[in-house]
Amino acid sequence: MSRYLRPGSIDEAVGLLSTDAALRIVAGGTDVYPSLGEAAARAAFLDIVRIPGLRGITRENEAWRIGAATTWSDVVRAPLPAFFDGLKLAGREVGAIQIQNAGTLAGNVVNASPAADGTVALMALDARVEIAGSDGRRVMPLGDFVTGVRSVALKPGEIVTALLVPDRPAKSRSSFLKLGARRYLVISIAMVSAVVDLDDAGMIAEAGIAVGACSPVARRLPALEARLVGVPPAQAADVVLASDADVLSPIDDVRARAGYRRDAAITLVRRTLAACAEAAR
Amino acid sequence: MSETTTGAGAPAREPVRAPARDSARDDASPGVPPAAHPVRLTVNGEAHDLAVDPRATLLDTLRERLRLTGAKKGCEHGSCGACTVLVDGRRVVSCLALAVACDGREVTTIEGLAAGGRLHPLQQAFLDADAFQCGYCTPGQIMSGVGLMAEGRARDDASLRDELSGNLCRCGAYPNILAALRRTTGIEPAPDATRGDDRLRAAAGVDEIARDARDGAGQGGA
Amino acid sequence: MNIRHDPDDASPDGGEPLRHVRKPLPHDSARRHVQGAADYIDDVREPQGTLQVAIGMSPKARGTIRGLDLAAVRAHPGVVRVLTAADIPGANDVSPAMGDDPMFATDRVSFHGQALFAVLAETRDAARRAAAKAVVEIAEERPSVTVEDALAREEAVLPDYGFGRGEVEPALVGAPHRLEGSLRIGGQEHFYLEGQAALATPGEEGDVHVLSSTQHPTEVQHVIARVLGLPDAFVTCEVRRMGGGFGGKESQATQWAAIAALGAHLTKRPCKVRLDRDDDFALTGKRHDFRCDWRVGFDGEGAIAGFAVTHNARCGYSADLSQGVVDRTMFHTDNSYYFPAVRIDTRRLLTNTVSNTAFRGFGGPQGMLMIEHVMDRIAWATGRDPLDVRYANLYRPGRDVTPYGQTVEETDTLRAIVETLERTSGYRTRRAAIAAFNGRSKTLKKGISLTPVKFGISFTLMHLNQAGALVHVYQDGSVHLNHGGTEMGQGLYQKIAQVVAEEFGIAIERVRITATSTGKVPNTAPTAASSGTDLNGMAARIAAGKIKARMAARAAARFGVAAEEVTFRDDRVFAGNESLPFGELAKDCVLHRVHLSEAGFYKTPTISWDRAAAKGRPFLYFAFGAACSEVLVDTLTGEYKVTRVDILHDVGRSINPAIDIGQIEGGFVQGMGWLTTEELVYDAETGRLRTHAPSTYKIPVASDVPEDFRVALFPNANREETIYRSKAVGEPPIMLANSVFCALADAVHALDPGKPVPLDAPATPEAVLRACQALRGRPLPERAIG
Repeated sequence: MSRYLRPGSIDEAVGLLSTDAALRIVAGGTDVYPSLGEAAARAAFLDIVRIPGLRGITRENEAWRIGAATTWSDVVRAPLPAFFDGLKLAGREVGAIQIQNAGTLAGNVVNASPAADGTVALMALDARVEIAGSDGRRVMPLGDFVTGVRSVALKPGEIVTALLVPDRPAKSRSSFLKLGARRYLVISIAMVSAVVDLDDAGMIAEAGIAVGACSPVARRLPALEARLVGVPPAQAADVVLASDADVLSPIDDVRARAGYRRDAAITLVRRTLAACAEAAR
Repeated sequence: MSETTTGAGAPAREPVRAPARDSARDDASPGVPPAAHPVRLTVNGEAHDLAVDPRATLLDTLRERLRLTGAKKGCEHGSCGACTVLVDGRRVVSCLALAVACDGREVTTIEGLAAGGRLHPLQQAFLDADAFQCGYCTPGQIMSGVGLMAEGRARDDASLRDELSGNLCRCGAYPNILAALRRTTGIEPAPDATRGDDRLRAAAGVDEIARDARDGAGQGGA
Repeated sequence: MNIRHDPDDASPDGGEPLRHVRKPLPHDSARRHVQGAADYIDDVREPQGTLQVAIGMSPKARGTIRGLDLAAVRAHPGVVRVLTAADIPGANDVSPAMGDDPMFATDRVSFHGQALFAVLAETRDAARRAAAKAVVEIAEERPSVTVEDALAREEAVLPDYGFGRGEVEPALVGAPHRLEGSLRIGGQEHFYLEGQAALATPGEEGDVHVLSSTQHPTEVQHVIARVLGLPDAFVTCEVRRMGGGFGGKESQATQWAAIAALGAHLTKRPCKVRLDRDDDFALTGKRHDFRCDWRVGFDGEGAIAGFAVTHNARCGYSADLSQGVVDRTMFHTDNSYYFPAVRIDTRRLLTNTVSNTAFRGFGGPQGMLMIEHVMDRIAWATGRDPLDVRYANLYRPGRDVTPYGQTVEETDTLRAIVETLERTSGYRTRRAAIAAFNGRSKTLKKGISLTPVKFGISFTLMHLNQAGALVHVYQDGSVHLNHGGTEMGQGLYQKIAQVVAEEFGIAIERVRITATSTGKVPNTAPTAASSGTDLNGMAARIAAGKIKARMAARAAARFGVAAEEVTFRDDRVFAGNESLPFGELAKDCVLHRVHLSEAGFYKTPTISWDRAAAKGRPFLYFAFGAACSEVLVDTLTGEYKVTRVDILHDVGRSINPAIDIGQIEGGFVQGMGWLTTEELVYDAETGRLRTHAPSTYKIPVASDVPEDFRVALFPNANREETIYRSKAVGEPPIMLANSVFCALADAVHALDPGKPVPLDAPATPEAVLRACQALRGRPLPERAIG
């Protein structure tokens, strides 16, 4: 039996979820509806898009809060610090403009596709996920939240309310690159997002690098990140080793074979770092 | 430009006010009454109070309830753009939007572009640039173009190409579609693209090529 | 060129310049298209009580059906009837000719997704849900999926066929240089934006009227009659327009129309079939994919002495149109090049995949891509410029006989096009600049290629080269136009209307274009083989001409002048010093009992083809063209961009240059998609098509169109007496895109000019990177490690 509910607050949404486990949370609906297929007859929807305060980007203390109903177009258009450039680039690649106008960042994360552009960019930024449930609110790192292909650490009755991105120093730059059979309307073969913070001497103080579509869940490259500390940004690309791809576990599928993914991912990592260096000049 | 048939123009396509209840068509499981949700959709300026199945897409609602068939079904996966309409002025693929989620919103379809018998400038530009072949993607292309102009995203030639890349045209009429967009937005072609917008220019170039062909016969080659 | 003195540009009555023909008029439905008011079948308001049809599909690719339990399907709410083969009153056969395409599979299944039954329900949703409830039991066998599978099993849909000329083996052995290789060429999904659709309405005594999105209404009519066991005269098929066809609705629209008709026949209710995109991918055939095994002998200049090829065509599970398709591959294996000695063999292989079918170019593109690849291989082996190798082999007087014995009469046109484009594109200068760039640039490499096109115009199945048209003049002077051709976006309707308006000397708005219908013009050929305008334009002109002659006789009698002195122009009829509006003469004709309706008929002259003897002149003429493409390749990711394309194409004297240029640009873009991003992937184990939606199957978008795209028409009156000396334009432009494939190989070649580039089609970014890494001596692994 099909139903459609539109709660007016997070509390109401959580209340509804606690009474009906079959409810599916929707915002833009661009991923949810086509994936339902034959199950649509029984689908019950909980539309959160009009809950007040859930849409938009605000700065709270040491973090930027991206509400769960914030669309990709909202992010792309928002005046944000330079370290969000990688996220904005991801937003421009997430699908056609028609999809960017409706689809949300939180939806992209919760759907947990191995090729989710948003997850890759947010993971590089050390984003955390804010979750509301009947027990109150909790926050967990994005890397822990996404547990596998189409699988996240959301308990029954819980709802993602925001993505929290820690603030970074003024001298922080980021970028995002995606490889696909075509830039638009394509689910990625490989994508990389990188962020580098520079110290007063202009050397890399901290780096975050995430690779998507080359493992069930987007992966950070911690060994490479560690090696990058203290390196001048212009030389960052040279620090990348082919073995940095060893933490990845790409698969063969209709879009690409594993060998191609692995090889191209390393090229993309180098180029993403070069783009950060270029932006830092 | 005049209609090329003896018809006086396109038939009037007034939206019809749908009955308050869902028709049998919308009901996936006859015998089980659907939980119809009341919604108000303002489509092309006219308010419609409908009771819709929560699973009904905006596309099906437009096509089957309001008889506005300009938005087409190309893939039903949000990947071809043939069903593009504007919701509150922004482009969406109506095959992925639920009608219930559009409650209270303003929807603009291809049928609502022309005002008082005058085509929207982009519609006219599509006509003038012959920006279609089979025509199936055309309403979506035009709505996408209108949307990108409204969204202020048409900056240069490259942005036009990018912004239209959510709309597939299997006939490959893209050169003329881009020409129509350039005409309407006043954006110049990319500097290295010496090929002009005008369909006729290519035809007019024939004589120059002909001269080349005659003058050059027997030369060149290996 | 002085247009006024060209007799081809004179009006039908002589003296006056043309008023409609040669004008860049927009498509016939242009104004409706931009308002969303041009109805396709799914837009037509359904009659009350229309049933929606869903297809029940086989879950296995090959095996014996042990059981088909449809009880749960029938019990599903909203289901009105389930159709199986047992419900067919006539023949369970929807094939175009060979009798090997069942409407519903009975004993055996032959491909994944094959239709087993159909559900008729009150709603589309109910029909689809019900179809999923079937219990199918199949004793499964390992399917043949690849060329190699089919070769190993020695299974074919049609007998092998070959032809040639001269002694090939001695020519190969005696040549100074020899090469051999194998090129794989992928298929292509039509991806017409409007999927397959049909709406059948029952009439009296078993009559059926079908709206079908088909390029071949006559075949739809005949097959429905065959399936229902009715005379052809009981069935009418009508099509106003298609949202794209590209060959995919030539033979393969039939099954869906026939299922709708069977449903209407049995339930006495209208029935509608509309395949959704995923089902359309699974249920309908594609361009044939090939493995071409070739051997060539040549001299130091690259001139070919002998050439032999075996085209292994993957036809799918049935013959469909594979005879004509693969024959056309053979007819275009030479493209524009002379082979002193040649042998062309073909195998039409059976695989347990959907039956491959017509697709714009109809087998020609595969043959031509193969020989262009061979030209590049010769160039890489000799170190000569690929264009010079092409010149060394280009047809010229004395070396102008094709492998099938037809003489290429327009070798001058072919050479002039290539030489002109070489100059206008700046090929030599750019070649040098590209070499300099590639010398400087380590990662990014540029490539350029100029390839010719020669494409034979006529159906090679001789009886299809006929057409009919029906023209009525009403007493107000308005004209009803109908013909056997269908409109799928190629602008046929408008071109024929231009011809008829020109004949009557009236405004084109006075000509009412009407939907193609088997009830008006019978026994037609499909709108295919680029022949729509050639055939139907002539038929319509003949019909209009006959009416005009009778009207002229009436005017002559009324004004007392000779009939030859009566002329039709400017919406008036002139007779001596008198004139009157066209409509007044029409009225006068009716009052004087002059017949104002005519059926025109045309058949292509001159052509002949004896397939058994492999002799004749299968083509009335050739259409020519050439394209020069430049690409920029990222040799570390395999991504690339087509940066500039110059095209010079021969459409004879164009009836409508705007429409023709659109066909050239669109055909090029479609061909570019075939050779670059469009990749069909079948599961090797199950035979299931894995790329069945736009998320995985990538056709070109606006940003893929070359930034610098220059298209020009080559002025060249057709030497044959075609309609207004025009040439066909539908298919030839597809093959202009061969230049993109060759330019990509050229760019990769820059990595190591000592090695040939191992690149098959489509040249996806992955395929390009694989070729790059192979030249670097660092091949990518085929499969994941571990």
